[in-house]
Amino acid sequence: MKEFAVFWGCTIQSRFPFLEKSTRVVMDALGLPYREVDGFTCCPEKSLVNNVDHGLWTLTAARNVAIVDEMELDIVSPCTGCVSNLATVASELKVDPGKKEEVNGLLKEVGREFKGEAKLSHLVPFLHDEVGVNTIKARIEKDFSGMRFAIHYGCHMMRPSHALKNDDPLEPKKFDNIIRALGAVSLEFPTKLMCCGQGLDRVDQHDMALHMARIKLRELKRIGADALVLCCPSCYLQFDNNQFLMEREGEKFGIPVLYLTDLIGLGMGFQPEDMGLSYHRVDVGPFLEKWERGHSRPSPAATLTGELNVEGAL
Amino acid sequence: MLDTHLDFKLLEMCARCEACYHICPSSLNIEGYDPRAVIKDILAGDYEKWITSKHIWQCLECHHCLEICFQHYGFENAMTALRTLAAKRGVTPPQVKRGWDMFVKTGRLGEPIMPARKKLSLPEPGASGKEEFLKLLGVYREAKGREGTPAE
Ligand code: SF4
Ligand code: SF4
Repeated sequence: MKEFAVFWGCTIQSRFPFLEKSTRVVMDALGLPYREVDGFTCCPEKSLVNNVDHGLWTLTAARNVAIVDEMELDIVSPCTGCVSNLATVASELKVDPGKKEEVNGLLKEVGREFKGEAKLSHLVPFLHDEVGVNTIKARIEKDFSGMRFAIHYGCHMMRPSHALKNDDPLEPKKFDNIIRALGAVSLEFPTKLMCCGQGLDRVDQHDMALHMARIKLRELKRIGADALVLCCPSCYLQFDNNQFLMEREGEKFGIPVLYLTDLIGLGMGFQPEDMGLSYHRVDVGPFLEKWERGHSRPSPAATLTGELNVEGAL
Repeated sequence: MLDTHLDFKLLEMCARCEACYHICPSSLNIEGYDPRAVIKDILAGDYEKWITSKHIWQCLECHHCLEICFQHYGFENAMTALRTLAAKRGVTPPQVKRGWDMFVKTGRLGEPIMPARKKLSLPEPGASGKEEFLKLLGVYREAKGREGTPAE
């Protein structure tokens, strides 16, 4: 496997270091060849930077990619926004030689060159395609059979598809495949691919952000999801923090929110404290208790096999 | 230099299509959010009222419209163009301005929180690219001229 740099992004490192922790625990346990790289900046975030200045957005992303181009590394990120922004700019420059030249003319002044050779992946499709579902499955000591999870893909994991080219942008499957490999049921529900709506919080429309969160959380409660599983810090912010804020105002949904790496790590035998689960604002207790209960009860298969092996009377 | 632009030919097609309206999460769930009206006004040269509207900031940039679009274009391009115009005139939501200011000062939107890293026994984070970024920003601004650095 080719070495890669992890692009952590601003949100995980400035707000949710425990998500970095759980990602590292899983990457270490899988023995992935990742490197810490100096010199990255914000990807940059689209809604704040691109809306104001498309040129600076392009240039900043191109510079980040140029860093790994020079080191001949790929990028993997546990943030959907980071990958989507970097890949969108990279694809724009790759199809437009004039623009690429313009960007490289500027980058040259700081000794960089955008080549666009680095592969830019989000962690979920990377785990699916490069590590492989079966490799992950083989490492699971305590699976999630009996658990019913709702996945929130996060729009920017696979969109825009012309830049990311990693899954069907309107009917993605890879996250589901990993969840099933962990032994759990991945629920189907109407708002499965609906945007989390966290962007509204970035433009001073907090009530609207809550309104969007509520739509999905209500549905998850109705279908009895044991947890919401995602792999994007913005979506995490929306469903964990904002759910907690609503809870504090007396509106309780009780839907634990887990990062995909939390689940994989727990399944591999790491403890909740290894994954920093106590930092989650919505209580993950109910999820852990149900999972424990499921494992303390012998499975029907084990009972039947046991009985079949007992000496009989005849 | 490296500017945003709108493709009016594609927008003309939008005015006769409206397919993405029916899957756009904001159109479906936020009262008053209707990119169809915005596009009609843009085509008629009558977009002024949208620049100060809160609705242009309600596009979630989820790219759903882009993906379902037979032109692979999407409503969002019209929204982005209007937001850029709003930013040039300095009428962004305060938080956008704050985010932008922090970005052009530090190259980031937040710094790693060290005490929590220590508690979680996380390693030293990679060094920031701030210095080089600021230098590049200077180069960019020089190339572009003052005119191109809005919202300041
Ligand atoms: S990107 Fe904006 S306009 Fe397009 S579907 Fe999403 S919210 Fe609607
Ligand atoms: S963006 Fe595409 S799908 Fe939406 S109205 Fe325009 S042409 Fe139709």
